[in-house]
Order: sequence, then C-alpha cells, then structure tokens
Amino acid sequence: MEIPYEVTARRDTGLYNAKVGIWLFLASEVMLFGGLFSAYVFLRVGVNDGVDTPWPMGLDVHGSGIWLGFLNTIILILSSVFVVFAWLALKERNWNVFRNWMSAVIACAAIFMCVKAFEYNKKLNHHYGIKLTDDSVVEGEIANGTDKISFEASKVTLSLQSDLPAFVGHVDGAFPDFTVMEGEETVTLQGEKGLRKWFYKKRARVSQDLAAARKEFRAAKKKGEAAQLKIVSTKAELTAVKPFKLLAKDRKVTNYDEKKLNYIDNVVVEGKLINDYVELIPHQIDLQMIPIGRQKESMVWSFFEKYHQVRPNWEKAQEKSLEKIRGHFKGEPIPGKVVQSAYINLHTIPHEDFEDTAGNHAKSEEKKSEDDPHKGDHAEEKHGHGDADGHDDHGEHHTISVPRSDIRFMGNHGPRYGNYYAIYFTMTALHGLHVIGGALVLLHFVMFGKKLYLKNPEHLANRVEVGGLFWHFVDLVWIFLFPIMYLL
Amino acid sequence: MASSPEEIAKHKKAYKAVGIALLVFTCVTVSLGAFPIFDFGLPGATWEDFVIGLLVATVKASLVALVFMHLNHEKTLVYKFLIFTFCFALSLMALTLFAGWDPIKEAFETVRTNGFPSLKS
Repeated sequence: MEIPYEVTARRDTGLYNAKVGIWLFLASEVMLFGGLFSAYVFLRVGVNDGVDTPWPMGLDVHGSGIWLGFLNTIILILSSVFVVFAWLALKERNWNVFRNWMSAVIACAAIFMCVKAFEYNKKLNHHYGIKLTDDSVVEGEIANGTDKISFEASKVTLSLQSDLPAFVGHVDGAFPDFTVMEGEETVTLQGEKGLRKWFYKKRARVSQDLAAARKEFRAAKKKGEAAQLKIVSTKAELTAVKPFKLLAKDRKVTNYDEKKLNYIDNVVVEGKLINDYVELIPHQIDLQMIPIGRQKESMVWSFFEKYHQVRPNWEKAQEKSLEKIRGHFKGEPIPGKVVQSAYINLHTIPHEDFEDTAGNHAKSEEKKSEDDPHKGDHAEEKHGHGDADGHDDHGEHHTISVPRSDIRFMGNHGPRYGNYYAIYFTMTALHGLHVIGGALVLLHFVMFGKKLYLKNPEHLANRVEVGGLFWHFVDLVWIFLFPIMYLL
Repeated sequence: MASSPEEIAKHKKAYKAVGIALLVFTCVTVSLGAFPIFDFGLPGATWEDFVIGLLVATVKASLVALVFMHLNHEKTLVYKFLIFTFCFALSLMALTLFAGWDPIKEAFETVRTNGFPSLKS
C-alpha cells in the first residue's frame, strides 16, 4: 500500500506528511526546553542576596573551559551549514556529495560529544569544592584520593535486613576473608564472592525466621494464649582474618571516630582511623558568603599559612581594584553597589603565590617530619613553579590539608554541588542526548539511504530535510545554552 | 523550495552567508563574557550583559530558523503551529514571574528570620 503525501505535498496544506510531523514534534520540543529554561530563570532569579550562595557566573565556573563551549558552538554551526548543503546535494541528485556533507555532520556530532565528555570529566573528576564551617569555600582538585575516609578495618557488624552493605564497594586492595559464627561453628567466607553468597543466604533465612515468628505470635494470640514474639537476631558480626583498608565515601558514612565507622546502612566497622584529612590542590578561594569586614579573618586563610604570599597578594589585588574605582569616580561619592562589586570575593590563586624560597621549603619539610603528620600537612608545600592547575615542574602538587571537622560540605562539581550545576547538567545532558539522537538519524540516511535514493531521490531529500530541521533545532537550543551557561 | 540549478545556487550563497554571520556573532557573544573590556555595566553579569548576550543569541537563532529551517518562506500551517507554541512557551515563562509573588516564599522568609513558632516558644 502506498502512503499518500510522502513525496508530494497535500494541496490544502502545501506540506508533505513528514514535515507536518516534524513541526509538531519540534513544537513539543520547544515546550520541553522552554520548561527547562523557565526553571533556569526561576532558580537564578530566586537567589536571595546575602542569604543564599550567589549564582555563579558561567565564566567563574568554567574558566578556560568557556573556550570548549565556544568550540562546540562553532562545531554545531558548521554542522548546521553542512546539513543544508547535504540536502542541496540531494536536490542536485548527487549522492556522493550528499554522503560527504552528511559524514562531515556526523563527524561534527562526534567531536561535539567528545568535547562534552571531556568537559564533564573535568567537572566530575577534577573539580572539587570544600565549603568550610564559616561558609568560605576553597575549590580545587582532590589529591591522593583523600575525598574518602581512610580506615583500617578488622570487624564488621551488619544488618541482615538491608541490601548488601556499602562497605563492600569501599574495600581498597584485595578483598579480605571473614570469619563468622554460625551457632557453635566458625565459618570462613572466602573473598567478596564468599561474603555475597553467605549474606544473601543468611538474609533470606532471617526473613523466613521473622515471618515464622510473626505467624506463630498471631496464631497464639488468636487462640487467646499469652503470646510473646520470638526474638530473631538480625545482626551478624564478621571478623576479618587480616585487617583490611577501607576508603569510605563521606555520603555513605553517618559518623566516625578513631575506632569506629558508622555507615548509613546501619553497618558498624571497627578498627583504626588512618586519615580523615582532605588534601586539595587549591585553585580558587570563594569568600562570597563571608561579610566583607570579616573576610580577612576567614578560617580559609589558616590552610594557606605556609603559602605566605596567598593572603597578602589577595589583599593587594583587592586594594588595586578599589583604587581603580576611586580613580574612576575622582572624589565623587561612590555608590555602595559599585564598592561591593570591587571586592574580590572569588580569588583565583596565581601559581606564583605557591612559590617560596629554597630555604623556606627545606624548613617546612623538616618541620613536617617533626610535627604530627596531620598538622604538618596542614599547609604542606611542595617546591617548584606551578601551572594554573597547581602542578609544578616536577609533576608534584601544592596541596592543603583540611580536617573533615572543618568541612560543612564537600563535593565534585556534579549536579549536587548547587542549583547552577543541577540545571547545567540537566540541560546540557538533555541537549547532548538530542545531538546523539539526531546524529543517529542522519547516520541512518548515509548508511541505508542509497536504496531509497535510487528508487525515489526526492523522497530521501524530504527525509533529509526533516532530519535537518531537527538538527537545526538542536543547534538553536545550543545558541541559547552557550551564553546562559558559559558566559553570563 | 530549491529545484532549479539557479535556485540551488542562490540557496548555497545564502547558507554560506548565514554560516559566516553565525560564526561572527558567536565571536561577539564569547567576547562579551570572556573579555572584561566588553563587560557592560558593573563587573559581573548585570542586566546590560544579559540584554546584549540574549539579543545576539536571538539574532543568531532567528537566522537559523529563517534561513536554515526555511521559515522565511514556509506554509501557513507551520506558522499556525509556531504561533500556538510561542504563546504556550511565553505563558510558561510567565509562570516563573508569578512565582515571584508566591506567598509560600513570604512564609518561608518569616520562618527564616523568626524561626519556627514551636521551636521559639
């Protein structure tokens, strides 16, 4: 059966079927992205000055990463041009030219997604922020995997009513063997596989025992007998054959001390705390939530004591910025808002500030070895000239060590880091999915379109036009996403 | 619609011109954010930057829609679809404005400044 109006247009609408369909679909897409843009406006406008963390400027979030956004914009624009040229090639009945242009579009889509993946990777794996208890924030890169609590475990008490304990995924190195008492008998659980097998079996048994106890209790009650619910133990104690190392994720741990680690799933791990300090290669200090008058006394500076140039240089930069404003107003009264804007609340630490004399470096190393290892790390300095990311010439880092007791919140620049990041990831990821979807459709035309081209080239041209319309829409969304997410 | 060789040549010329215009406007957009010299108003993102940034984006989007998506010579039915979409999208944005007068926010503010009544007593 032939479907009408696939190639030729209907006389009343002047459109062929697919075109009506794509425009209706694009209308629904406008509403989808419109809703998200509306959410963006809502979140941004809803920020309460002086109460909430200020909405970050795209430039402050992305830094040099805005050039990646710029690159992606260029790529999408070029791909949009290539799509229309591919369509024109079909109109000229030139398959080879069409295939070349369309391949270029798909290559553009692939490059776009690679750049996006690089950008996401930076945010999720390399950019961290630590919010201290006085609301100051220090941003940078986590060093030596210290975003996790390091603990030497020897005994684990777990609940047999929950899912597989989270600690199983936190074991560093070879998975240990455990022993557990089964009545009078001691059973050894060999590795992770042994533990899993035992856990699921035991959990099922406990669940059955609990059900039987409840049934027994109800039956006795029904008969009018004095009933008492049989107690079923739902806990199990595992002893490690050899102590093992855990790298526990903060959000899975409710609290801990030198000897105990309490997990969120009611698992208690006993042993010895190895390290709960977070080592960070700092890039930026954020003082936006500290009143201007108290910024100099912020606790954040205590972590930079040994990098003795960091604070004075921030003060100098601050003074320079105020001086510029004073010069601009030439003795006239300066509006408060202008003065406020001159204060440097976001201080990107220049790499020169980490430099020190060789003597100072030697001293700091000596002092570190004498002191408590944690305290020595407090403002540890490693020599050399650093680059913007805190790396020095020898591949070492300038790090600061922050005790977890001074941290209110810590996280990578993922969606949980703040409203900006949540909406950024939602919108850019949804857009990325559209890029993938569009590219797959266009790829289909290149790979399997030849048959249709030979049969009815105009039909394929119509399909490509429709696919191209979607592709242009994807470009159009990015045209707005780029300035609002990366620049403003 | 492009069908004759003359028309196709005309289209090619227009697409090239729009492509170049889009690239130029992208450079304008990025310079607004990346270089302090183009930062209008007070330092940081102010309404001036928003107006200029979004204006440039709107011009770019219009070029894509009008030329690449052929909306400069499309059939009436498509315009009808788009008028409805525009109205709905605008209403959606207006909902955001209404949220500004949301009384829940006021209650939230009161709680934030004065604390929960039960906790206070």
